[in-house]
Amino acid sequence: MIVRRLEEHDETAAFDCGDIPLNDFLKRHAWVNQEKISIGVTYVAVDELASRHIFGYFTLAAASAPYSTFPAKYVRGLPRYDLPLLLLARLAVDKSHAGRGIGQALVSEVFRIGLQVAEVVGCRGIITDAYRDRVGWYGKYGFQPIGEASEKIPQRMFLDLRTLRKTAL
Amino acid sequence: MPVAHRKKRNAPPAEKRPRNAKFQADLAPAEERALRALKQELQLRSNTDFLIDAVALFRWAVSERRAGRQIISETKNGERRVLVLPRLERVAPELELPWVEIDWTESQLADLARLASAPEPPPPTPALIRAMQGLPR
Repeated sequence: MIVRRLEEHDETAAFDCGDIPLNDFLKRHAWVNQEKISIGVTYVAVDELASRHIFGYFTLAAASAPYSTFPAKYVRGLPRYDLPLLLLARLAVDKSHAGRGIGQALVSEVFRIGLQVAEVVGCRGIITDAYRDRVGWYGKYGFQPIGEASEKIPQRMFLDLRTLRKTAL
Repeated sequence: MPVAHRKKRNAPPAEKRPRNAKFQADLAPAEERALRALKQELQLRSNTDFLIDAVALFRWAVSERRAGRQIISETKNGERRVLVLPRLERVAPELELPWVEIDWTESQLADLARLASAPEPPPPTPALIRAMQGLPR
């Protein structure tokens, strides 16, 4: 299995992770968002031999948190600039390939890209909005919940790039 | 009969010293005035000294842009200006990830600032270490 950027002729139509918005995003929007309007880059896990069939995917974009809105008591340890972040916008695995470690392979690639982005343009951490039932899965990799917990909205989570760097040493 | 050892005329010297390169530049009068003014301001005596400093500055700028960093000047009030030089942009890496604006709540920003400003980050979890090492779950 390899993880690479989404290509135009990848078989997105057959993808089914059991979540309609995540399926629809890959089928309808991922390619356009990546190539036409440039608001996110999607990476797919595919078999090296059947390289159009998608096992899972994730979408990334660069984002930031505005320095001017940070509470005064926490700004002392921060540079006086907006905090550059990597946004893990979506991550999903096809139901028929669940339990084979594809989620871990995808998130490993997210971490690798995070380190690369930090090296090339600067990045202070990775954030994601996790479904309630996936908070534990992200927590296992060190993502920490930030903000209020609510059953109605996804939980925003943060992974410090410094933690990632420690594993890369 | 003794053999006379004659020194070969065209033999290269034992240690060849690298020769300094010479430059000649055709400058328009305005550029020449700017060069003189800069030399005076920077208290540089010769064109050679000027060129050495200019090359050092350009080398630094190229290395910064090649590493993907922007070159910014900032006033005391925090006004920032970014240096954009078409020649420098040729060496800048392609930024492949588009930037998106996301909404934040006050409590999310407070938690983020608290975590990001902590002197030490949390240690990596065993799952993170396994993921980074490409090991199975």
